[in-house]
Amino acid sequence: MVLEVTAKTADGKEVYNTERHYHTQATDCRTNKMLYGAQVKTQYIRDTSLQPYETKAETFEILLPQGVRTVDVTVSLRYEINKPDNFIEIAKVQRKVSLDR
Amino acid sequence: MKFIKLFILLLAVFSPLYALAEKAKTIEELAAMYDSTRCKECHAEIYARWENSHHARSLMGVQDGLMMTPLAIKGATPFSPDDPGKATLKTFPCFKCHLPQALVAADDVFAADYAKALVAQDKARVSKLRITCIVCHNTKAIIHKLSEGKPEAGVLYGSKDVASHDDEFFKKIKKGSIMDHAIMCGQCHGLGPNLEFENPVQCATLYGSYEHNYLSKGGQQQCQECHMQKVDGFADHLIAPNWNDLEGTKKILQDTIAMDVQTVGYEWLLKSKDLKPLVVVNTKINQNAGHRIPDG
Repeated sequence: MVLEVTAKTADGKEVYNTERHYHTQATDCRTNKMLYGAQVKTQYIRDTSLQPYETKAETFEILLPQGVRTVDVTVSLRYEINKPDNFIEIAKVQRKVSLDR
Repeated sequence: MKFIKLFILLLAVFSPLYALAEKAKTIEELAAMYDSTRCKECHAEIYARWENSHHARSLMGVQDGLMMTPLAIKGATPFSPDDPGKATLKTFPCFKCHLPQALVAADDVFAADYAKALVAQDKARVSKLRITCIVCHNTKAIIHKLSEGKPEAGVLYGSKDVASHDDEFFKKIKKGSIMDHAIMCGQCHGLGPNLEFENPVQCATLYGSYEHNYLSKGGQQQCQECHMQKVDGFADHLIAPNWNDLEGTKKILQDTIAMDVQTVGYEWLLKSKDLKPLVVVNTKINQNAGHRIPDG
């Protein structure tokens, strides 16, 4: 599962992009290389998945480039199936955020 | 020779399952021995839902990926034989859950046939092998074998006793001790690494997550209460999600996972006379399943 945050200027120029990845991660315990595939995985070495009754909270601080005072922020939460370009978008939130009142 | 093979196949189809001393040697023979097609004559609604489930294509992988193929290819996994024709039941540790009937009703010749089908990417043949009604309602229905004995031939196990069941072979239904408990599913939707094999394998760990990170926080529902809720009066044997149905799966994920987003833009006074133009995005994600998401 991937949480992606992007910020773009009014003319579409991307000024920020980052991702958080939520999933179990395993090796075969013989090297430190992460592996996919039940036939070779032996043990989880890290688990960033969403847990029951827990809130996954993140804060993203976006320093805007000189002269940019308004951005379009997009937050997308996706469930990837086997590969990054094969996914289900669970939620997508778009906001215009300005420094001016 | 062809006549003998045909005879064995017909015997498999029309004979009592456990009366067969002969073990299945081909995909077709094993599929016939555990065929549940006749169940739909009386259980059409349940059968129709099961037919679209992952249990009905347990060897096909998510979106029909034939996930066991590496096991049949030389050097691809520690289990892989030099030649698919030399594959044995031990080549496929995944049979433990993806095809448990192979371990009781098939032999190494079957494993070689299956390995060749994988190498040929023969989806039509591989898709004949399924977790059928018989697998859950007989083969995997009893876990307390010392206390209750092995699953009886001619008996299906369900949520209640039925003295007379209108079937040519399974003439009786007995109430199973675990049919409505999470451990029924936990037999396969697993705890963690499977250490009984000569090399460990690790597939689904949902039941481990359920046991240690859901119950511990006060969750009290069984797998069946969410994944087998009644549809038109019958326990839903689709046992969703069905990853081949992206829209249906999206709805489940959206019902299960909630995301809150808060934003603010301001000029941050990092140090005197040095205002930084800053946008802050705060996200909070919650889920209400009885296990981690994603798993495996």
